[in-house]
Amino acid sequence: MTVFTLPQAEKERLLTKQLTELTAHHRAHCPPYARMLAATGTPETFGSVADLPWLPVRLFKQHELKSIGDDEVFKVLTSSGTTGDVSRIHLDKAAAATQTRQLGATLQTVLGPQRLPMLLVDSKGILKDRRSFSARGAGVLGMATFGRSHVWALDEAGHPDLPALREFLARHGGAPFLVFGFTYLVWLHLYEVARSHGLDLSNGILIHSGGWKKLVDQAVEPAEFRRRLAGDTGLSRVHNFYGMVEQIGTIFLEGPSGGSLYCPDFADVVVRDPVTWRELPPGEPGLLEVVSTLPTSYPGHVLLTEDLGVVHGVDDGDWPGKRFSVLGRLPRAEARGCSDTYREAA
Amino acid sequence: MKHLFGDTGDWPHERLTVGDPRVLDFLGAFSRRLLKASRAHPELGSLGYFLRPAELTRTVTRLSAAVDGALVFPRGNVFHVPPANVDTIFVYSWALSALAGNANVVRISERAAGAAQVILEALGDIDADPAIARTQRMVSYGRDDAVTAALSAWCDLRVIWGGDAAVAAIRRHPLPPSARDLTFPDRTSWAAVSVPGWQAADPAARRAAVVGFSNDAYWFDQAACSSPRTVFLVGDAAAADAVRAEFLDLLVDVVAERGWQIEAAMAVEKRVNALGLAATGAADTLTFAGNAVTAATLTGTAVLPRRWLGAGAFPFATVGSLAEIVPVITRQDQTFSHFGFAAGELAAFAAALGGRGVDRIVPFGSALTFSAAWDGYDLPREFTRLTTLQV
Repeated sequence: MTVFTLPQAEKERLLTKQLTELTAHHRAHCPPYARMLAATGTPETFGSVADLPWLPVRLFKQHELKSIGDDEVFKVLTSSGTTGDVSRIHLDKAAAATQTRQLGATLQTVLGPQRLPMLLVDSKGILKDRRSFSARGAGVLGMATFGRSHVWALDEAGHPDLPALREFLARHGGAPFLVFGFTYLVWLHLYEVARSHGLDLSNGILIHSGGWKKLVDQAVEPAEFRRRLAGDTGLSRVHNFYGMVEQIGTIFLEGPSGGSLYCPDFADVVVRDPVTWRELPPGEPGLLEVVSTLPTSYPGHVLLTEDLGVVHGVDDGDWPGKRFSVLGRLPRAEARGCSDTYREAA
Repeated sequence: MKHLFGDTGDWPHERLTVGDPRVLDFLGAFSRRLLKASRAHPELGSLGYFLRPAELTRTVTRLSAAVDGALVFPRGNVFHVPPANVDTIFVYSWALSALAGNANVVRISERAAGAAQVILEALGDIDADPAIARTQRMVSYGRDDAVTAALSAWCDLRVIWGGDAAVAAIRRHPLPPSARDLTFPDRTSWAAVSVPGWQAADPAARRAAVVGFSNDAYWFDQAACSSPRTVFLVGDAAAADAVRAEFLDLLVDVVAERGWQIEAAMAVEKRVNALGLAATGAADTLTFAGNAVTAATLTGTAVLPRRWLGAGAFPFATVGSLAEIVPVITRQDQTFSHFGFAAGELAAFAAALGGRGVDRIVPFGSALTFSAAWDGYDLPREFTRLTTLQV
């Protein structure tokens, strides 16, 4: 089973129709959203996905935007926030079920239909630390449901747990198993330990995310990451993914040959010129917009991220549709006013 | 602690006088250097002009004039805490205090860059009387409560810029019983266009008004306390729509002519804030003229946006008369820059406000021009004290 099936032209046609309907749905059920569209003179029909009205993702940090009644709220998800403000994403029962189902379907493309034994490249300690729980803990727990017989690769202090790793590999290493973790933890802890102790990870399928920011001082390029994992530990089935809590359930997954992220059938990306805001052709980097049909309980179906990205090609890779990369983050705009918050003030 | 200007040792017993000739010489030389450096940093030009000898002499003459027979003396030791991000404010505050003859310590932000560095270099280059370095000191230090506490205990007057958060943070440190604070909290500033005044102005005057307004708004990314944000259109509502449209067209044109660019991150920031105004119902029309000019039409004056919306973000509100603005003005409001009003209208507006808010009513193009009267204070007076003498 796979959710990477639609050639771009067909996907464009389907998504334009479905997302236009979703726009009308949210307009009817989310008054603040309706007011934003009215104020910007947004029409009711759209000729393409790129014509749909996008919301900057940060709006979900400053405003409560939902298309369901208070009594229908089943779950409220919050994003990690470095500046103190967090997104609040409201799901009803149906949206919560759909996001789990579609995330599962996306992962099955590379994991197969069976739940695999799962190595979590993280520390059980993160579930205890309430401060870091919301971001990292929720990410790990969310992913854990797609595996079984879980083993933590790091001890509670965050150091590699070699005996646990050896035991996991002795028991499950002979058949496909799932490895999940944040990119920098996989690199700093799993890779180093596996290499220096000659662990065989060749039956592993690695799903990782979280960016390379923390690896900058280690100077590891994504291609180098793949090459060294494969060469030194045998781990050659490696899939990075990109996603955000504001479009929960939708992930953009790296294809088997690496280097590009692909969009599942129910989602897509648009790269925009940050001056004209028009869609850019493949090869030209700009701001990433992500669209998905999953957000039915809140108007997060067309979001402008603060990430920079580039589309590499269309219908020319491992799977159909657009393939793209995330290039980095847009720096936050800062005021240089007299009444700046005076962080240095003692 | 890093010493950026002045001596590092103990404080001398010597005192300067109000309008001390050594300070006047020093500031005169400083002014010339700033004017030379103003090509690269336009804000240094305004500063150099403010510190020109003729202006300083005028200030000293006014200051030294006896008040009801009392003698005027320096206040004593002054500790200045300027904002981190506006490079030139610390100089205005410090220079007026030095002119009044005070011993000054200025805490320069560790983040200070650009123009602030040029200023410090210029200060260091001047061949000054040694008394200057002994009594005028500029330092920077990180998050160090002990230093702030010691300087607070030392001073007779503490000058706190940088907004509400800075005032609250610095006020935790006690002052000597005889000392006090001069505070510059968060402020909001406005602009107003008279609809009939606009209609009566010829095209050149309209364009000149928008040029002045664009300087007020875009220097300091519209984030200085005096930068205008919301624009009131004062007059007939139907006519106001046409005025707004023409004003925005001219603004787009002028900003393009200046070559002012708004970066992607700032453009997104403005979108978030403008859409936010629409989401809450505060605005019902948004226009994005490129990234440089973002406009919003407010649905009323009941809830006026008082926080920064980004560089080049302009909410517009239409009111029938200046009198309608009076009830929505608060103590937080500082500068009210205007175009097209008769002097009598503005005087009546100021009288109606009665000092409850708005400290400066200035024409377009002058919003950022610093003056010795600021935030309702007569600064030179604040930096001095009086001794009455009866024989």
